[in-house]
Amino acid sequence: MRLVLIVLMLLAIAPAAAQTTTVSQVLQTAVTQVIRPGMLEFKARASGLRIAMNALCSVPSEGTLVIAKGQFRQAALAYGRIEFLRIGPLMEDNRVDRLLFWPDRKGIGLKQVQAILATEDATATSLATLRGKSVAAQGFGALEFVLYGTGAEALLQPEGAFRCAYGRAVAANIAQIAGELAAGWFAPEGIAGHLTAPQADFADYRSENEALEELVGLLSHGIEATRDTRINPFLATAERAARPKEALFWRAGLSMAMIRANVDGMRRLLEQSGIARAVAQKDAGLDNSIDFEFGNAVRALDLVTLPVEQAVADDKQVAALNYLVIVTGSLQALIGEQLSAALGLSVGFSSLDGD
Amino acid sequence: MWQRRAFLKAAGAGFAASLLPQQVLALERNELVFASSVRTAGGGYGAVLLGERGDLIASIALPDRGHDITISREAGRGVVFARQPGTFALVFDPAGREAPVTLTSVEGRHFYGHGVFSPDGRLLYATESDFEAAQGVVGIYDATDGYRRIGEFPTYGTGPHEMLLMPDGVTFVVANGGIETHPDFGRTELNIDTMDPSVVFIDRRDGRLVGQLRLEAGLHQLSIRHMAIDGRGRVWFGCQYKGAPGESPQLVGYATMDGAIELVELPPGTLADLRNYVGSVAASADGGMVAVSSPQGDLLVAIDTEGKRPVLVETLRNGCGLAADGAGFVATSGDGAMIGIAGAERERQSFGFLFDNHVLRVG
Repeated sequence: MRLVLIVLMLLAIAPAAAQTTTVSQVLQTAVTQVIRPGMLEFKARASGLRIAMNALCSVPSEGTLVIAKGQFRQAALAYGRIEFLRIGPLMEDNRVDRLLFWPDRKGIGLKQVQAILATEDATATSLATLRGKSVAAQGFGALEFVLYGTGAEALLQPEGAFRCAYGRAVAANIAQIAGELAAGWFAPEGIAGHLTAPQADFADYRSENEALEELVGLLSHGIEATRDTRINPFLATAERAARPKEALFWRAGLSMAMIRANVDGMRRLLEQSGIARAVAQKDAGLDNSIDFEFGNAVRALDLVTLPVEQAVADDKQVAALNYLVIVTGSLQALIGEQLSAALGLSVGFSSLDGD
Repeated sequence: MWQRRAFLKAAGAGFAASLLPQQVLALERNELVFASSVRTAGGGYGAVLLGERGDLIASIALPDRGHDITISREAGRGVVFARQPGTFALVFDPAGREAPVTLTSVEGRHFYGHGVFSPDGRLLYATESDFEAAQGVVGIYDATDGYRRIGEFPTYGTGPHEMLLMPDGVTFVVANGGIETHPDFGRTELNIDTMDPSVVFIDRRDGRLVGQLRLEAGLHQLSIRHMAIDGRGRVWFGCQYKGAPGESPQLVGYATMDGAIELVELPPGTLADLRNYVGSVAASADGGMVAVSSPQGDLLVAIDTEGKRPVLVETLRNGCGLAADGAGFVATSGDGAMIGIAGAERERQSFGFLFDNHVLRVG
């Protein structure tokens, strides 16, 4: 009898227990389980990239080139998983643009990188002077061109020494910025403390609600940015044909992998932090709905197996890409509007995205 | 005054199509006083015309999100501009006699959400973007010829936002926010590292640049967006900071046609509560006060234009829209509230729609 009673009691409290994720837990978990590990992973991958570029320049060979390209991929994707975290350290010191100047509508970065290579501008080969150069010539976009762009075959020849040295300096810059990001997220009295334990006298987060609003905003804006800057620009529209060379990292063949990294990073924050579980009983289904839609995004991405240039000419893969655009819109509404309202945040659209 | 009677004859899509008895009563005792873009309870977009007591006189359906509204008695028309980077502007008859007409931006241009009529109501001007060149332009429309676009002139900067007509009736002041966007990339800001915001004075007769004012070089990431003109003809502006989040530059200042531009010192606590974001600026009826709002910080600040210091700080969740009201201001919010501050005699009201960033006083 007692056992039956206990079972009944457990059954009675089970649904309520599912909703006990507190805002404080969400904030703590977001920082300790998602943001900080993401920053550390990027730091480690960027460090690997720096070392690999050193090795390539010291001993140019097919082997060191393959390793350098592999490390480029690893570092870029690690960044792809955290680049939506546009708060705190990433927003300081022009780091977003210095890591990846994108979109680059006028091809500024390409022109500057080509000019540096053509003139063998020695100031681009040391970290200190490279950092003083245009933001468009010191990040992933520049390094992609060094490794994959026109003339990259020279990397294995003596005449490619300058090109390699420039790439080495860019990799060192990426590694340095990655280190600064990690340091910022672990700094005492830094953003991590403010985000997880807001106080009325903090300039950045005065209440748990503001901190929560920031996380929801990061997800909503992150999805919007992935669609608007990584997918839509290369898809055909009613007015124009597809433009596969508007895809990020098309030279390296990483366009779709970067989109996947973006989606994975945002999904990870949503799932691990439990942000969509910190809602009242009546909104308990929202967590599943959002996760289901993330699943749809991943399934659509899995269907795009060809390089972007061929994918945009393949009906099935174009359909998957178009579906991906729809799914991102749905995710943006689910998170930016429904989740926001379910969490009791100020959904008033004046503040959601200003003007 | 815009008389309510004509609304009863209103025809056209979504234009006060069906009035409830209470709304008819509202029409009986009201004249049009306020206008604002809104988001409706159903998630759609529109504009509302409100009476002195906040009574809903009429609503207008919009195809997408609107932003600011301008009205000319001389033209007998009001215009709702699409929020940037929108491609429509809706011309409506505040007296409800004729159905609204939708303007579409011309190829290579989109609207920025703000505009004004010429004093005689014959021309409509709108801030627009020549997005391929990343240059702002003022589009010119002939109100006497079906709002045909008859030309444009440059704003001498990127990302123009609000524009106002100076009291002299011939000079425009335009806030070039400095931020480049392009329809290919949605609302993504493309040039944060190289932004170059400015306040420009332009002769509306020939588009000639009368003067261009910039804040000091270290403040190039301070986007100048919204403005109001005080009793002495000074142009007060509010900014949005796009630099490092830990920095807190001053956000409110004024510019004059004599070439002066300066930021005023708000106390640190007030400044911090604005959250690096001013969403709208309005001047009081006597021009002795300006008010600024921050929907990010839920804050409204009224500033004495002579003493250049705050005289009132009030909180309003999601508050953004501001307009002169009585001796003070009316403020509207993205949560659907309307309140009076700094001398406005007005009870707090709540509506079933959400106010967009700006509210216009018509009367």
